[in-house]
Amino acid sequence: MDETKTYPPFLVNQRIKANSLYYAGKMGSIFYVNLRDNETIVGVHCPKCNKNFWPPRLSCTKCFSELTETVEIGPYGTVETFTQVNYAEPVHPRKAPFVYGVIKLDGADGGITHFIDEVDIGEIAIGMRVKPVFAKDKKGIILDIKYFKPI
Amino acid sequence: MIKTTEEQISIPMVVNVPYEFAAGEYLTRGLSELRDNGKFYAVKCPKCQRVQLPPRIVCAVCHVKNDAWVELGQEGTLVGFTIMFIPMTDPTTGKPHEPPFAYGSVRLDGATSVLDHFLHVEPDMEKIWVGMRFKLVLRPKAERIGDLSDVMYFEPLPGQKRPGRTN
Repeated sequence: MDETKTYPPFLVNQRIKANSLYYAGKMGSIFYVNLRDNETIVGVHCPKCNKNFWPPRLSCTKCFSELTETVEIGPYGTVETFTQVNYAEPVHPRKAPFVYGVIKLDGADGGITHFIDEVDIGEIAIGMRVKPVFAKDKKGIILDIKYFKPI
Repeated sequence: MIKTTEEQISIPMVVNVPYEFAAGEYLTRGLSELRDNGKFYAVKCPKCQRVQLPPRIVCAVCHVKNDAWVELGQEGTLVGFTIMFIPMTDPTTGKPHEPPFAYGSVRLDGATSVLDHFLHVEPDMEKIWVGMRFKLVLRPKAERIGDLSDVMYFEPLPGQKRPGRTN
């Protein structure tokens, strides 16, 4: 081998791709079935801590007691915080630019992240009231709520 | 009205992350030689004399600088293998490799390290053994991109008999 030979810098293209199935669990299944079939958003109540969890879960994060009391929450909610994504990443389910917000639904004690759409980023404010827009063809996934839009 | 259900929901998830990394001085040389000339190059440690593949600047054992380059043979010896009966997902494509198939570690002639790849043999424990001789089968030059997918599989050398068996 010629020791004086030079090699141009080498960029290695790689990819990690993995397919999996995430089992939503007992409570998660109730949540997704109601979302898919009835456009109903289900949370769960902890009588001891007097908290409503969304998404619903089988045990309380505070007192660890088993949760059985499902409650209907929303569908209206409040923007707790938001951001605009300007940079396209393959992990995002949408093409940039789009707006992510943390939405706290009426009756819930916590918010989850979802899209805010049909509004200019300049018009979004913390505390703004929003409502969900449901997908037509529902599959039992969180994107059965397409996005939230201002009321 | 909240509907109760016995249905169990499973959500299909896909992790799909393309990325690139700079191979650096030594790996650039190794991968370029594989892509352009179909050769595997390793580095030899001046202290412990290990011949390390993939080539890296520092010996993984002695932590001294490797500076001698060694061209490895196109043939090697099997040091370990497995037969896969479940589809193993190739993380670079997300597609499974159809089972059953044999997968093994081959020590290319001249190397201390081993190279893991598919073995192009019948996936039968009686027909594969440690010590079996294999040769590299590479993709045609035009299809090579400079990573381990440039190797298609290891092909067994013809005319080998499993040792220690009379029948």
